[in-house]
Amino acid sequence: MGRGLPSPPRFHETGPRMANRVNLPAFAMLAPATGLIAVFVFIPMALTIWLSLQEWSTQTGFETARFVGLRNFFDIFGSTTVGRDFKTALANTAIYTVLSVAMILPLSVAFGLLVHQKLAPGGVFLRTVLFSTYMVPMIAVALVFSKLYSPTAGPLNQILQWVGLPPSPWLSSPRTALASIVLLNVWQQVGYFTVLAVAGLTQIPAAVLEAATIDGANPLQRFAYIKLPLLGNTLLFSAVIAIINAVQVFEPVALITQGGPVDSTNVLTYHIRRVGIEFAQGGLGSAMAVALMLALVVTIAALFAFARARAGPE
Amino acid sequence: MSEARAARSALKLRTAPLKAIILILIILVAVVAAFPLAWMVLTSLKTPQETMSIPPVWLPATPNLDAYRKVADVLSLGRSFLNSGIIAVVTTAAVDITSLMAGYAFAKHDFRFRDPLFAVLIATMFLPPIVTLIPLYRIVGYLGLNASLMGVVAPNLANAFGVFLMRQFIKGVPNELIEAARLDGASEIRIAFQIVAPAVLPALAALTLFAFVYYWNSYLWPLTVLEGNTEQYPIVVSLSRLLSYNRGAMNTGLVMAGATLAVLPPVMLFVLLQRFFVDSIVASGLSG
Repeated sequence: MGRGLPSPPRFHETGPRMANRVNLPAFAMLAPATGLIAVFVFIPMALTIWLSLQEWSTQTGFETARFVGLRNFFDIFGSTTVGRDFKTALANTAIYTVLSVAMILPLSVAFGLLVHQKLAPGGVFLRTVLFSTYMVPMIAVALVFSKLYSPTAGPLNQILQWVGLPPSPWLSSPRTALASIVLLNVWQQVGYFTVLAVAGLTQIPAAVLEAATIDGANPLQRFAYIKLPLLGNTLLFSAVIAIINAVQVFEPVALITQGGPVDSTNVLTYHIRRVGIEFAQGGLGSAMAVALMLALVVTIAALFAFARARAGPE
Repeated sequence: MSEARAARSALKLRTAPLKAIILILIILVAVVAAFPLAWMVLTSLKTPQETMSIPPVWLPATPNLDAYRKVADVLSLGRSFLNSGIIAVVTTAAVDITSLMAGYAFAKHDFRFRDPLFAVLIATMFLPPIVTLIPLYRIVGYLGLNASLMGVVAPNLANAFGVFLMRQFIKGVPNELIEAARLDGASEIRIAFQIVAPAVLPALAALTLFAFVYYWNSYLWPLTVLEGNTEQYPIVVSLSRLLSYNRGAMNTGLVMAGATLAVLPPVMLFVLLQRFFVDSIVASGLSG
């Protein structure tokens, strides 16, 4: 935003004169990135949609695909095992996503306030600590938390015991396993969203806050009536990214729970890969991928509609 | 005026307890955030007996590096690190180059369909990789790259985030600079690498670090495309073998030693160069 846009006359000067002369070089410079993204993203995306209407084994070439209309979609939403497993994975992913966003957004704002404030020292230090967890490979996070969560030999239950709380089964019970993976994910990601929140807070004009202070608004009031409303766009962006990140959860499930216990952590990225790659049911897997894509588009569109409605006519 | 001053001095009095509360909160959050990593390092230094004890032992009585020696044997660690290095360095270099070129074209050139093309490219930033994984796996198979490092690298030589980031920053490069080079007869490619690149060096540094960490850490694609060819495994995929190597509790120290080693490169890079990371996140967040 406002990152040194060229001033209008300057823009005018280069615009038309360039149009003829440098078109070809422009395309030459676009070609590598655009070509690679076309081959490795757009074509696979189109193929996913096409394959969702085919019966196809991932072990064979695309030419062996056989058109079956919407049968894959009836199957994955049907009442057979295929359908039950997919719907479980979809529901688990939805729960996982909602829990993740519901924890990450408030925490990112709270931590953002701690980093942003100038009253006490340590803000930048906190940012460094929080953000460095975001650099840790998810596979290492999964390995470490699998030990932290150990019901008997893990430190977390010991801490619970110290403060007089009952031990949790963490990953070993279908009731707590998914939430445990949410916690691990929040731990890893919250630093990224904290930095986004800090960026949003930085944009709030100091004059507005000063005026409110002089008018006698206490810190709580300044937060509730000025900072939070002005963070709207940041929170919307954070929510979108958090949702997209949440549906990608894979490592802890693949490594530790394998979707269990009793399918309670079977999430879509894990399930689609298992069906589409390991079981080589490429058509079914692609139909699931398309369903995930549609669910994401609908969710994010709804989020934007909700945000616009709340912002009101401006 | 005097009212305002009175309000301010009253504020100062009230802020002392607030300051203490904030400080305590900062310390508390930092401790909780750092705890898993501290536990990881401490456990990697424990004896196997200590890692199994119930209730857990927090500090190793005699810190030792046995687990690191053992994990190096089990995983052919040198090879895994080399693979990770190759994957991260090659993809990062390619992403830098392709993003710089495309970012320059989008920021400083006029051509038909520029804005729609940019919008479509940017949309791929939000596409979860699982959506394209199945056909991508087959396409890379067609190219004969399955089970090889080339297969891991090939689909990642360009990415939309890089193009986006470069365009945002190149927009701020003064047009006079580019025009002057053009008048001197420099080709557009030359302008991109000799005029524009130095002008957006901090952004390029940020992209370099981001891409390096991202590809060093990535798991889903290498796991899928390498098809169990353990020779080619990068370190994060190798790590997953530790759990199947010996499912008993004895290997906890090994697992933690392996995790510590895999965490070091990206975290060290970040700590050294965090300013660039934070700047680029802010840029990507605000301009969306």
